[in-house]
Amino acid sequence: MTEMEEKVGPPDTLVDPIDMSKLDSGFRTEVLSMPNGDELSACFACSTCTAACPIANQWDYKPHQLIRMILLGMREEVLSSKEIWECLTCFQCQERCPQKVRVTDIIFDLKNLAAEEGKVPANVLALGKSLIAKGQLYEVLNDWEREDLDLEPEVPGLETDPIKEILKGTRTGRLAGGDE
Amino acid sequence: MGCSVPANYPNYEAAMMKVAEELGMDLNYMEGVACCGSPNLRAIDYFGWLVVNARTLAIGEKNGYDIVSPCNGCFASLKDALHHLKHDKKDMVKVNAELKKQGLELKGTIKVRHIIEAMYTDVGPKEIRKKVTKPLDGVGIAIHYGCHLLRPADVTEFRPEILEEMVRVTGATVVEYPLWKQCCGATVLPVNEDLAIRLARDKLKSMKEAGAVFVTVVCPACGNQLDLQQIGLKDSYGEVYDLPVLLYPQILGLAMGMDEEAVGLEMNRVSADPILEHLTD
Repeated sequence: MTEMEEKVGPPDTLVDPIDMSKLDSGFRTEVLSMPNGDELSACFACSTCTAACPIANQWDYKPHQLIRMILLGMREEVLSSKEIWECLTCFQCQERCPQKVRVTDIIFDLKNLAAEEGKVPANVLALGKSLIAKGQLYEVLNDWEREDLDLEPEVPGLETDPIKEILKGTRTGRLAGGDE
Repeated sequence: MGCSVPANYPNYEAAMMKVAEELGMDLNYMEGVACCGSPNLRAIDYFGWLVVNARTLAIGEKNGYDIVSPCNGCFASLKDALHHLKHDKKDMVKVNAELKKQGLELKGTIKVRHIIEAMYTDVGPKEIRKKVTKPLDGVGIAIHYGCHLLRPADVTEFRPEILEEMVRVTGATVVEYPLWKQCCGATVLPVNEDLAIRLARDKLKSMKEAGAVFVTVVCPACGNQLDLQQIGLKDSYGEVYDLPVLLYPQILGLAMGMDEEAVGLEMNRVSADPILEHLTD
């Protein structure tokens, strides 16, 4: 028989208790007032969403935990998490929720709240900036490819100026404004 | 049409336009259409995303045409924005205040569909079958629907059976595989590329193991993930899938007798030429 090593401290399966003084009791109301928050408080933490999520096994905060963290008021942890940005937006969690919580849509709302505080991953911010600069995400670079297929070299009907104008006046404009 | 299909997949665009014409559909490029902004815009700027898509919807209403899109991203953005605005009167008022500056107004009467759905409902499998002159020989094709075509179902209103039937109409067999609902990983590319590649790889593995010989997609982003990423998987995972990925109208076009140049087959990254051997006369 191998000798058992003496271990100091609690088993590592346990998590540290939540520091109540750091909770933001208004966070729940804030998310509830977002476009998809309606059914948020119906969550009974069954973790069906987590079972449905293809990538939850590599997340520190699982989808059902994120919902619970909102209800508890863990604003800082949720809005600074990498998880909300790694969400695939595949809607598998939302489709299976027995309580009709719009989990994926709520994660979109969380990203908007994070963005309002300027917390946006660099590559996502770059996409926003490119929308303001070019008015589209993908530009036709090889128009000969189109002509080979009997298509117009430029995309018929596509307009890029209106989207630039719209987004300059909304949050994308404020986010992109910093270093332009 | 959006921006990704014309820029990255003109073969999809060409095949779709030619098939639609052959099927007698009144399919026109939409005047004034704008980029939908993608889920990334929805993530950082919900209101901006709403206004951008409401503008496209309002132009569609003004023109009196339904909107159809070959891209799951545009399809989902337009459907989702419309669904939200129809259910949120306050946001509808706010958005219309913005649209008014451009002389537009959204009433919410417009219909948005994916091009495959329009082919299915406006022409129908029965009529399409009559146009199939070179049916496939029953070869196994795995369908990757793409998340934003199917979910959330109350928003997209798309039934997976539609695409299944459209594949069968070409003479092919639909291969069922365990990960059929799983994401291709495209959305996570900007924040975690390794994860995105892993998702594409799992999907391809699942298809291949179930016996798929070809894959079909109806979205440029999904197509990019499943087709282009196969090249990199040789190095990163040491795995070769050799699974040609075709945009659905390419398959239908070939089965309707179009030649490979017409549907831009040579642009597919993993050579899709083997499909030519499965066409019968």
